[in-house]
Amino acid sequence: MLAVSPFRSAIDGREGEMENFLIGDGDFLEFSGGNLLDIIDFDDLFVGINDEDVLPDLEMDPEILAEFSASGGEESELNTSVSVEKVEDDSVKEEDNFSGSGSSLKQGEEIVSTRDESVAVNGSPKKADKGRKTSTQAKNTQGKRKVKVDWTPELHRRFVQAVEHLGVDKAVPSRILELMEIDCLTRHNIASHLQKYRSHRKHMLAREAEAASWSQRRRLYGDGATGSGNKRQMSPWLAPTMGFPPMTPIHHFRPLHVWGHPSVDQSLMHKWPKHLPHSPSPPPPPRPPTWPLAPALHPPPPPPSDPSFWHSPHRRVPNCPTPGTACFPPTMAPMRFPTPSVPSIGVPTTPTGQTYSHTPLIDLHPSKESVDAAIGDVLSKPWQPLPLGLKTPSTDSVLVELQQQGISKIPPTCA
Amino acid sequence: MGDSSAQYIHMVQHLIEECIIFNMSKEECMEALSKHANIQPVITSTVWKELEKENKDFFEDYTKNREERESKKEGGQRFHKMHLDSFTKDTNGDDDE
Repeated sequence: MLAVSPFRSAIDGREGEMENFLIGDGDFLEFSGGNLLDIIDFDDLFVGINDEDVLPDLEMDPEILAEFSASGGEESELNTSVSVEKVEDDSVKEEDNFSGSGSSLKQGEEIVSTRDESVAVNGSPKKADKGRKTSTQAKNTQGKRKVKVDWTPELHRRFVQAVEHLGVDKAVPSRILELMEIDCLTRHNIASHLQKYRSHRKHMLAREAEAASWSQRRRLYGDGATGSGNKRQMSPWLAPTMGFPPMTPIHHFRPLHVWGHPSVDQSLMHKWPKHLPHSPSPPPPPRPPTWPLAPALHPPPPPPSDPSFWHSPHRRVPNCPTPGTACFPPTMAPMRFPTPSVPSIGVPTTPTGQTYSHTPLIDLHPSKESVDAAIGDVLSKPWQPLPLGLKTPSTDSVLVELQQQGISKIPPTCA
Repeated sequence: MGDSSAQYIHMVQHLIEECIIFNMSKEECMEALSKHANIQPVITSTVWKELEKENKDFFEDYTKNREERESKKEGGQRFHKMHLDSFTKDTNGDDDE
């Protein structure tokens, strides 16, 4: 039972509609909850409240309001949200007028907390609508809960895009968040991911620098050689375990642009077979009997069993130091080549010499077959240019050296 | 003497260069040439040494890098793979606090 009547007069004086708020389960309950909402004109109700911090005119006892909140369900919430400010002020100033100080404070708190709830209730539905990516979104409304962010490839891709747009070093989490336009990410999520991303990048760049210097070495050692089967890449990029989509190239030495993706070297590897059809292997030259090394020669071995990366050994032409030009080193000029073997195969500067313009990967564990094939190739076609083009030592000094070793004549007569 | 020797030496040089492309050591080269081309290891060795004299910088580099690569090649890939793996796990398993 609400002791409302004394108030009614006070309230009536101000706003007649206020009496609708006097909810009770007894005599005064004239309207059901639904009707109340229709009757109450909230705009009018709020006018006074918004203008001032305190409603001076309406002095509602916290006692009454407490009973409001206690009595009704939804209605009381609505009401208390309205009346909270008053309550807060009142509870500060006026202590408990009703049953015990403890209970009034408690009820005051209840009111306040009810307000929180009502606000939260109002707030979360909106947010829930926006929550798309993660189901944990609803929990975010609490603010400080732990949220697991699942960095999917798509999400990460957007992250990377945003970061690169801003510049890795300048990328600020708040800006990244803006660019990503994903509401379910907090700035903190971004910040921690950014940190990891940066550290990872540093590692990758360091390895990239290493790999770049390796590739220079490889080029130096010759483009034409093919590794046996290329079971092993020089590239540090292994089969990706992250599955992240490719990043845009970022000032890399070579297009090692993907975080976790295979490098271009793999594509280079695949290119090799393409070259081969362009350069059909010529028929093996007949063994020139006049060739001094006759006893040492053996027919070129068949291509190794790994055809995808290694085709005809004849075509494994290493690049000349100056591709595109006549590849004869000057020292070869005085040499006489056995004529019968040359007719169709002929010109040393075959186009095949130019096809290997890419940088093949050099297997660090050359297979016996590939070595054998390479050697056989040299033996059978000695007129071909030197793969590395190292400076040839003077014949005399070599011979002198050999003599010191006990070899007086080369080629040695006894094989 | 004369032409044939020069030719021969040239050929050996050619063969050695091939071996270098395969990242072989001098010893490996000697073995390969002996096995596949019937070239006496001493000859290979001599020509290699002469080449080394004539191309000092190259061989220094070559030897150094070769050793580095021999030791690194296994570790490097493994490191990278580990790093990738750990990164993935960290990123996805992270709790935002």
